[in-house]
Amino acid sequence: MATLAPGVQTGPYHAVLDHIHPEPTSFIRKYIFSIDHKIIGIQYMITGAVFFIISGLLAEIIRTQLLTPNGLLVRPDTYNSIYSMHGSSMVWFVVIPLLTGAFGNFVMPLQIGARDVAFPWLNLVAFWIFPVAGVILFSSFLVGAPDAGWTEYPPISLMGPPGTNLWCIAVFMIGISSTMTGINFLVTILKMRAPGMTLTRMPLFVWAQFATTPLSFIATTALGGALAALFIERVFGVPFYDPKRGGSPLLWQHMFWFYSHPAVYIMIIPGFGIISEVLPTFARKPIFGYKMIAFSSVAIALLSFSVWAHHMFTSGMVPWLQLPFMIITMLIAIPTGVKIFSWMATLWGGAIRWKTPALYAAGFIITFTYGGLTGFFLAAVPLDYHEHGTYFVVAHLHYVLYGGSIMSLFAGAYYWWPKMSGRMYNETLGRIQFWMVFIGFNCTFTPLHWLGLLGMPRRVPNYDPSYQFWNVFASVSSYVMALGTLLFFYILVDSFRNGKKAGPNPWGARTLEWMIASPPPYYNFKKIPAVLAAPYDFGNPLPYIGLDAADGAVEATPTHSSHPVPTH
Amino acid sequence: MAVSVAKQGYHLGHHDEHDANHDEVIYRETRDMRLTGFVLFLGTDVVLFSAFIFAYVYLRTSIAPVWPPMVDGHQLPRLDTAFAAVNSVVLFGSGVTMHYALEAWKHALKRRFNLFMALTILLGAGFLGGQAYEYAHARIGGWSGNTFGASFFTLTGMHGLHVFIGVWFLIALWIQTSRGVYDDHRFFGLTAGTLYWHFVDVIWVVLFFLFYLW
Repeated sequence: MATLAPGVQTGPYHAVLDHIHPEPTSFIRKYIFSIDHKIIGIQYMITGAVFFIISGLLAEIIRTQLLTPNGLLVRPDTYNSIYSMHGSSMVWFVVIPLLTGAFGNFVMPLQIGARDVAFPWLNLVAFWIFPVAGVILFSSFLVGAPDAGWTEYPPISLMGPPGTNLWCIAVFMIGISSTMTGINFLVTILKMRAPGMTLTRMPLFVWAQFATTPLSFIATTALGGALAALFIERVFGVPFYDPKRGGSPLLWQHMFWFYSHPAVYIMIIPGFGIISEVLPTFARKPIFGYKMIAFSSVAIALLSFSVWAHHMFTSGMVPWLQLPFMIITMLIAIPTGVKIFSWMATLWGGAIRWKTPALYAAGFIITFTYGGLTGFFLAAVPLDYHEHGTYFVVAHLHYVLYGGSIMSLFAGAYYWWPKMSGRMYNETLGRIQFWMVFIGFNCTFTPLHWLGLLGMPRRVPNYDPSYQFWNVFASVSSYVMALGTLLFFYILVDSFRNGKKAGPNPWGARTLEWMIASPPPYYNFKKIPAVLAAPYDFGNPLPYIGLDAADGAVEATPTHSSHPVPTH
Repeated sequence: MAVSVAKQGYHLGHHDEHDANHDEVIYRETRDMRLTGFVLFLGTDVVLFSAFIFAYVYLRTSIAPVWPPMVDGHQLPRLDTAFAAVNSVVLFGSGVTMHYALEAWKHALKRRFNLFMALTILLGAGFLGGQAYEYAHARIGGWSGNTFGASFFTLTGMHGLHVFIGVWFLIALWIQTSRGVYDDHRFFGLTAGTLYWHFVDVIWVVLFFLFYLW
């Protein structure tokens, strides 16, 4: 680090950064209607965890139903509502809010050396829309929950029970919340980085949030239009989708997937960011291909807007459009592959410490790659004709959404838990929890590929008896996964009670959030530091100047920093 | 918002910097952030309109055999382009007066500003009146009758709602100026209001082409 930039760049925004708004004293302003990004992040996390448990229970009802060929537990129409609500809730009320709202809010401003996001009040409003929308969504069970799947294709959704209207309202509201967060984060990242933090010195988690923001506010708004049209068609009879009245069900599919394919990347790019933070920290090595990882997120985000119709190969779409959609979809494998190989090269030759976050990161690489490969199958038009609407699709999407998104959420939760709570968790229990989830997950969803290839259709409450063995196998494995999830919450409670103090930087990480006390003080940084380089040069001195030691800040010497590493 | 937060704030280790120049820097920085945020918000609004425009174009070109569509064996009439053209001139005129209002404010010409604000609000309200007249006289089967009515009334209704909100936005800004919220070099609200008003104009250009000229 002897060749540091001679003059520290002082960014044009340092005057705003230097200001600290006073910490509120009342309980309500401090913890309920807080404008502090850290509290809001934790609020997102708690709310998301509640919805995660509810949606997980719905999933277990599905798996229990499928223990016997004729359905064990619920009536077929109830079953329709249960898988519809499971999907809707997991996508909009668990994964997206947790990856952007929760981790984005808590970690991103700390990593760019800011005291808060650009619009703290907007952040508060965006959060409070989330639980209200969630209550509206689940209250649809009282009047008849939506039963056309999470995609709510017309004309079935036009005939659906009254709860479908509540579904429209709830998803529209969470879309507004997501839009607000997207705008807020983009302005924050563009305008509030600490002096000297150029774009290519940003931590990769910040890059991931940066690439996600346009998806949040462009794609989500398009879905808002589709939902508003569905709502007014159901309530006022305004024809958009009803084929009997000159509308088109395909119109919904186009509008829905124009949102929902980018949404897939809202649900995974921040996860990529988490993995890119965890891997170098636990491999004690500079991240391999920093710029490639950063730019490939942006490439994925851009490509994601032009692939939506690969969900519609069997919908009667014009055939000549299938080829370009197939090719562009397959192109996404290139930036994704760049990431996978960069992560593996980061691990290669590193002094890896297999703490729980590192286990989850490695598990993520395995399961996400597996899910990505089956995605490649589904993108191929002829294979998709065979597999569309079968359990192969269910297996694929769970490999990317659970094996990808939820695994990365677990990795992030273990990684930043000491920063959020100030306490360590029980490492042994953490490792047991990882193996329960990892084995349970793979044993649940791998057989579903085979069932899909054999022709078992998705979204049906009963099945041919010849499919029973693997269904029972999957259901039993899913209970292991569920117990693993419960163990996770026990670990957090246990950490609160018995965990030892974490200190500012228990992992010896190098990004800015680890340079201050755990949990961080209200104002984050007493003095805004200046940033001299990208954060991943393990083995070199830290690239920050101006951190205030009085504030719990460490001029950190990571515990394992002596590992000799060539710089690049 | 951020300005007031910053002004209430206290400093740690920077007590000497709290002078007028420092306030100016903070003002410029927060204005810059809010402007970026506001422009992004307008961008999301463009996407919302685009979703419905896509629906209209899709239903018109891919689904309907003829346009305007047939209802009970009769083709629906086209919309009254001449009237809408006059009404469009009213709306575009309000864009021009809004521009002059902002320019007058920048040059501290208070009376001129008041005149052009009044004109803008009147023209905006006039456009809404014209649209109400047109809604009452359009013979295309109402909002829920067919896909023509559905796309026309949904899109122009959304636009009308934006004009309606815009009129109240401008009234609120006008009241703020009379209360001394802005001066001739700190007027972020007026900039945002002007941007919003021009945005509503531009959306109308697209809608006018799609519904009256196409």
